[in-house]
Amino acid sequence: MDDSARRLLQRIMRRIPAQMLKPTLDKWGRLTAAQRQSMDFTESKWALTEKLLAICEENEMTVKHITELEMIHVIENPDHCMWYALQLMDPEEDVHSVELTQFKEQFKSHLRELIRHVSIKIKKHTDEAVWIRIAWGDSFSRPNHLKPTYVVHHLQTPYVFVTSLTSKLKPLLSQALVLSTRYQAIKDASLSGRKLTAIRDLLMRQYQQVFPTKYPSPLAENDQNASNILINKEQAELAASRHQKACEAFGDGMLPQLQSAVYKLETKFRDHTNKTMTEREEAFRCVVKFASTNLLESLRHCASSGIASTPGTSLLSSIPLKGRNYFVITDNSPGPSSQTRQPSN
Amino acid sequence: MERLQSSVVRTPPNSTVVQRRSKSYRQSYRSCLGAPSRLGLTPGLTARRLNSSRRALKSHVITEKVNPEHLALLVKTEWRLSYVTPLHQFRHTQLKRYSRQLSAFIAAEKQQGVAMEVEGSQSGFRVSFSVVQGLAATDDDAETVLIQIYSTPVFARQDEPQKSVWSGWLTCINGNPEYLESLPKGFTCLPLFGGSGAEVLTSLVKSWFQRTFDCCFGPLEINHTSLQWLAALWTNCHTESNLQHLKMIWTLPVVPPLQVTYTVNPQDAWELWMSVRKDRLERTEEEAEAGSIDIEEVVRFVQGLKSHFYRHFRLDLSAGNLNQVSTTLGSAKSSGKIKISNSRYMITTLTLLTECALLKMPI
Repeated sequence: MDDSARRLLQRIMRRIPAQMLKPTLDKWGRLTAAQRQSMDFTESKWALTEKLLAICEENEMTVKHITELEMIHVIENPDHCMWYALQLMDPEEDVHSVELTQFKEQFKSHLRELIRHVSIKIKKHTDEAVWIRIAWGDSFSRPNHLKPTYVVHHLQTPYVFVTSLTSKLKPLLSQALVLSTRYQAIKDASLSGRKLTAIRDLLMRQYQQVFPTKYPSPLAENDQNASNILINKEQAELAASRHQKACEAFGDGMLPQLQSAVYKLETKFRDHTNKTMTEREEAFRCVVKFASTNLLESLRHCASSGIASTPGTSLLSSIPLKGRNYFVITDNSPGPSSQTRQPSN
Repeated sequence: MERLQSSVVRTPPNSTVVQRRSKSYRQSYRSCLGAPSRLGLTPGLTARRLNSSRRALKSHVITEKVNPEHLALLVKTEWRLSYVTPLHQFRHTQLKRYSRQLSAFIAAEKQQGVAMEVEGSQSGFRVSFSVVQGLAATDDDAETVLIQIYSTPVFARQDEPQKSVWSGWLTCINGNPEYLESLPKGFTCLPLFGGSGAEVLTSLVKSWFQRTFDCCFGPLEINHTSLQWLAALWTNCHTESNLQHLKMIWTLPVVPPLQVTYTVNPQDAWELWMSVRKDRLERTEEEAEAGSIDIEEVVRFVQGLKSHFYRHFRLDLSAGNLNQVSTTLGSAKSSGKIKISNSRYMITTLTLLTECALLKMPI
């Protein structure tokens, strides 16, 4: 086992939390029964790492086998790196006929044409997602397994999620993806976050949505607290209508756990009390960042408690509507309510 | 007010001390501002808690007047603020004695088993009191006192520089002259205290001051009016020193709490500020007013920023709390932490904070 494999294994062992070690190793399935018995999982992680290194030496494992272990761990716990969403554009006619084996072969061959030394591992996960691990090298050096890029693509959708990717390598990956999925272009979806499940649910609208209805009474049954009967009577209808509008804008029930949203504003300052600034030609530049442990839930609560008025037309509702969390707003771009996303099919 | 449990027999409890002092004071701070009664709550005062107008931020080049080492220490650290009631029998000439006494006190407390988180459990502490000359703005202000605690490791070489593990200062900049003159003889007013370092050392220093000079410490939060003042005063300096950004952090009371960081381009913020000032300067024709800034202007400035925000997001920031204001000139947090990154504006920032401390004192 060479040095790079050893270092990779040490790094993976550092990353895997102690309680996940046994299930991950079992899933990996590369240890014999006797070897598995010999690993005492009550020892310190350092001791376990040494033991595992010895076992891997015994089995004459290579980097290829170790990367399998890393991939298993990342698929189980995707939430420790930053994920960026990309969207494929302009599908060709035969986009629907792309299926797994075809995609795999095409992707590998295209990427290998573009860059000589690259190590690709593709795995289909249970929930229709294809996971790809790429270790990049260049014309002179072998692939660097310590800085891999992970790509997740849901077949039959135009969405791709990637982790750490330098700007030099991005065009290569984009090209390979476009060619193997039968689309014509790929663009940045302006959505990023740590929780892969959250940004995936947001983009693919896999959370409970609420549609505008004329009669808000069905939701009025979600009543909060019956502290003061008189106040409740007065406020009940208003509160119910606010709650309905908040859910229409942001969704109902459990929402994807997005952590932040950034708006870069370059619009003109308009305030009727301040004539000087309103007459100013240049834009008023500022950047607003919203952060919370669960951003969408905070925003929904703002809307239902009245802190935010008219949630449906504000820029904040663009987050779930367009599935993005980075926006650049200028005076020329269309307002938030005039543009809706095409549902993916 | 902070009190530490201690096994040493103490001077009479706090309440009688306060009583005695209030009889001997000829005037309380609030009566200087024209409050109707010294005894009851003065709700009418809250509308004018701070000076409603203050002189514009003049950059004071204090680098010549103040020891550069002291200045470097003051500028690069973030300080946790407290207010201090006037000190009884504090002498600026006795600083060496105070250094020895405080060292002995810390050693004694450590002996008694007070846990010190400072690294090197074997090390002792050396305290140094010094005067920071040049900061006091008026004749009434007492000179600023700087306290530094160094750790003295047991096996230290002679030439090894001692590591400073805690620093703090007491200051009074542009304190209200009526109040300062009304203090009885024997009291020194240094109402603003800033400390940085291990929390246990901060409480020991405060406890020593409390028993030696019969004073009280209390936490000093920076309320949103003061934060707005700082935002406006710092923005006012943009032409002299590039701000790089005006950043404000609000927290909205929803579940889970939502934090909004609003960063404005400094040139645009400055133009907004100037437009607010221009409106007011056009209305008042007095020349003398031009140098000072009114609270109305500050409020209109921040209101302008909030309404620009509202236009886009339909969220009223007034529903939340302003927690932090920061620029390259410094940063202030509502929890009572301040960092002054540029020595030119130290005097004016400390003036504002001295005022806050004087107002928060419970006399």
